[in-house]
Amino acid sequence: MRKPIFALAGVLLAPLAAAHHSFAIYDMETEIEFVGVVDTVKFRNPHMSMTLRETKDGEERIIDFVEGAPANMLVRMGLDPKSLEPGQRLTAIGSPRRDDPDAFFLKAVILEDGTRFDMLRPGQTR
Amino acid sequence: MRIVRPFRALLWCAGLAFAASLLSLPSAAQSPHPDFSGIWFPAGQRPAPSPPLTEAAKKLRDVYEAQFTLDDDPGRFCIWPGMPRAPWGAPFPIEIIHRPQDVTIYWEGYGMYRKIYMAEHAPPMPPIPSAMGYSVAHWEGDTLVVETTNLKPYPYMTRLATTSDAHVVERLSLVEREVDGELRKYLVDEIVLTDPKMYTEPVRMRAEAVYSPDMQMLEYTCTDTLWDEYLQERGLTLPDVDALPDPTED
Repeated sequence: MRKPIFALAGVLLAPLAAAHHSFAIYDMETEIEFVGVVDTVKFRNPHMSMTLRETKDGEERIIDFVEGAPANMLVRMGLDPKSLEPGQRLTAIGSPRRDDPDAFFLKAVILEDGTRFDMLRPGQTR
Repeated sequence: MRIVRPFRALLWCAGLAFAASLLSLPSAAQSPHPDFSGIWFPAGQRPAPSPPLTEAAKKLRDVYEAQFTLDDDPGRFCIWPGMPRAPWGAPFPIEIIHRPQDVTIYWEGYGMYRKIYMAEHAPPMPPIPSAMGYSVAHWEGDTLVVETTNLKPYPYMTRLATTSDAHVVERLSLVEREVDGELRKYLVDEIVLTDPKMYTEPVRMRAEAVYSPDMQMLEYTCTDTLWDEYLQERGLTLPDVDALPDPTED
């Protein structure tokens, strides 16, 4: 019975999560989907970061997710360093920085088994 | 002798029990007042609606906005929000240890720590100004009234900035509320900030946290990225200690 309550706390917290750090530097309305292999990942506070190696139309490029949710929030979602590591194939959804379209905020991760983790919804935590 | 020995033993037991009662630290649970101990999770906050700045503070804000960008965010550099911004804004649990003589609050987010001293237990003198300030409390019925002073200036003018003159009064209480058919316990914090150099009137806020005993507190190290950036600037690479050979393996 605790889970739904915590989820409720998470819903209430959505603005709070945004409040402790301004996301105005990102165009959060724009969401771009990338499919690739994790190149580097840093489980850090106050924010994680990740690079993804994407191959598209025969060309390879590194997508730089300069910022994501805090490591502690990821762990509570069930996304720990063992479930998100270099070499892993996944889908990542990012919102670009307004002043640098090559730098992204990592909004969501979809693992190969289809499990989706949304970074800005602490209520999703298990 | 056979009669005296049990009597002596009884005296020893009584003496030990008395000494133990003197030595044992009482918990807030033995107090007639509410016990705030436990793990809590932020459950909503009513932010102050655009607090009215003084004319001088408005000028300071204009200068700040002209110079600082959104990237110049103190949170990114692990600066504690401190009081009165800390309760209970960040989406991380909070652990409270409540004793009759004090309340210790540990926020997982930024690893913030706060001590609230009870006025009737001879609180120590305030040390240097700090992000959490110096807090002294007393009970008014079942409400803990906390006064905080000795705050460091928080000069981030696009946030809830405060000067060294800031004075915060909180009223902390417990309420129970039914959510999805389950009775849940909430810690309510009614906050009033008075800072006449910065605001033309008191700023009122309200924060709530839900009792979450099943949550686990985690370590929150915040400065790794800053350290990495420093090493990068210096052109240094830390040794990979995990790559050392394992002597237990052949």
